[in-house]
Amino acid sequence: MKKITRDQRIRDVKRVLKQRILGSTTKRKRHTDNNLNGELGFNWLKINDWIKNERTHGLVISDVFNGKKLKRNRIVVHLPERMNFSNEYDSTVQCLTAIRKLTSLYENVKTDLPKKALKLASVNFDKLASISTSAALVLTAEVSKWNISIRKKLKPQVENWNKDIFIQFEQLGFFDLFENKPSRKNTETSASPDVDFVRYVKGQCGNSDEAKAKKKELKAEIIKLVGDNVAKWTILHSGLTEAVTNVTHHAYPDEELCEEKSWYLTGSYNKQSKEMKVAFFDQGIGIPNSLPASQIWEKVLSYFSKLQLPIAEQAKHAKLLEAAVSIDRTSTDKNDRGKGLQDLLEFIRERGEGYLSIFSYHGLYKCWIENGKEYSKAEGMKRPLNGTLIIWNVKLN
Amino acid sequence: MKILYIGKQFSDDPAGRYYTDGDGSGEEFREEVLRPLLKLNKPLTINIDENVEGYGSSFLVEAFGGLIKHGYFESDYINRVLNLDFNDSDFEFYARKIKQYIKEAIYNSEQYESTKETAINEGKFKGSIDKSFLEDFK
Repeated sequence: MKKITRDQRIRDVKRVLKQRILGSTTKRKRHTDNNLNGELGFNWLKINDWIKNERTHGLVISDVFNGKKLKRNRIVVHLPERMNFSNEYDSTVQCLTAIRKLTSLYENVKTDLPKKALKLASVNFDKLASISTSAALVLTAEVSKWNISIRKKLKPQVENWNKDIFIQFEQLGFFDLFENKPSRKNTETSASPDVDFVRYVKGQCGNSDEAKAKKKELKAEIIKLVGDNVAKWTILHSGLTEAVTNVTHHAYPDEELCEEKSWYLTGSYNKQSKEMKVAFFDQGIGIPNSLPASQIWEKVLSYFSKLQLPIAEQAKHAKLLEAAVSIDRTSTDKNDRGKGLQDLLEFIRERGEGYLSIFSYHGLYKCWIENGKEYSKAEGMKRPLNGTLIIWNVKLN
Repeated sequence: MKILYIGKQFSDDPAGRYYTDGDGSGEEFREEVLRPLLKLNKPLTINIDENVEGYGSSFLVEAFGGLIKHGYFESDYINRVLNLDFNDSDFEFYARKIKQYIKEAIYNSEQYESTKETAINEGKFKGSIDKSFLEDFK
C-alpha cells in the first residue's frame, strides 16, 4: 500500500470535513416551504438552481464583486418597478420567493456556509416606484425574517430610493426592523403619496395579550388616518381575532422547526379613492396544507363529495381554500369547528360592499360584493405565495 | 335585576376558544361565568356591547353553544332565561350569532374535557380576570 504524502493527508482531512458539513445540512429537516408535499429537506444546490432558472424568467439578480472576483457568491436581488398581488402577481411573488429561499440558507446552516451556495447580500429597492399595502407588508415580513436569520446585521441603503416609496416604508415602520437605521432622506419637497400606510404590527403566535393590544393599535392608527370611526369595524375586529386564532392553531405546526412564528398586520387609506385596506400575513404552512391535519378535514371531504369533485381536483389549493372558507355555510353537523374563516367574510357582508382576498400558497380565494350581490371565485396560482395573506378592501364614504 | 357586562366584568376583547388560547376565552367564560350564573335558575341579562371590541366566532360558539353541546342545559332553558342587551346596532350581528349557535348546538353531543391545566402548565392561561362580581348575582 502506498504511503500518502502530508499534503495528500491534509487534502483528505479537508474533504472529509467538508462532506461532514454538507452531509449534516442535508439531513436536517427544516421548514423551507419550497416543497408542498411534505418531502422537505434542505438543499442549497436546489436554491442555486432555482435562482439560476428564475434569472431566465425575469428575476433581476446582480453579483457582488470584490475587485474583479466574485465575493463568496454573494448576490443582490433587485425589486421590480411595481409590486402588487393583482396585475404584477408573478414578478412580485418571484422576488419575495427569492428572498425567502435565500434566507432559508441562513436559517438552516448556522456556521460554515457552503462556499458555492448563493448568499443574499442585499435587496435593492432603487427601481421600485409603486407597491401595494399587502406587498409592502409581505416584503417587510420577508426582510424581517432575513434580518433575524443574520442576527439583525442589515442596514438599509436608501440613497437612491423613490421618494414616495421611502415615505410609505417610513409610514409602515419598515425601518424599525433595523438596529442600523438609515439617515432620514430629504422628502420635504415631495407631495405625500395618494396611499398612506399604517405602521405595521407584528405579533408572536400564542401571545393573546399582545394580539389584543396590537389590534387596538391598528384601530387607533386607522382612525387617525381616515379621521373617523370605520362603520362595522367591530366585525373586522372579529375577523382579525379569528385570523390570529387560526395562525396560532394551524399555521406553524410543532414539527415545523421554524424560528419565526409571527403574524404581521397593517392597513392603508387611499385619499383619492377613499379605499381602506387592511392586510394580515403569516409565513406558515398555509391553509390548504394545514387542512388535512385539522379537525375540519372531514367536513372538507364531505363538502367535496357533495360537489362530486374528482380526487385530482380536491388536491388543488384553490379548491381546498374555497372549501375551508365555504364550509360553515354547508354544514349543520355536531362538529362546530371551522367557523373561523367565515368570520373573515362578515366585514364586507355587513357593510354590503368591498372585497376580501385570501392568498395561501397556490390558492387564491376572492369574495366581493357589488350592488348588494355577493360573488366569489377560487383560482390556482402558478407561483405559490409562501404563507397566507388576507386582504380586506372597503370604500369609506 | 343585575346585568352582566362582558366588556367591563370579563374582557374588552373576548377571544379564543379554549383556555389554551389565553385569558378571556370562550371556555373560561362558559365554565367560570355563564354556567354558574345559569345554574341559579334566574333570568340573566348579558350586555354584549359596552366596552367590547368585538367577538370571534370561536369565543361565541364555545361559550354559548358549548352550554348545550356539553349537556349543561337544554337550548329551551337558555332561550327562556337568557336576555342579550346592547345599544350599538353593530352588535345585533353578535346577538344573532349567539342565538344561532345556541340553536345549532346538539344537546350532550360531546363530553367536556378541560384545557385549563394544560393552559396553566404551558403558561398560556394566567387567570388574570377577577370573577368576584359573580357574588353580586347570588
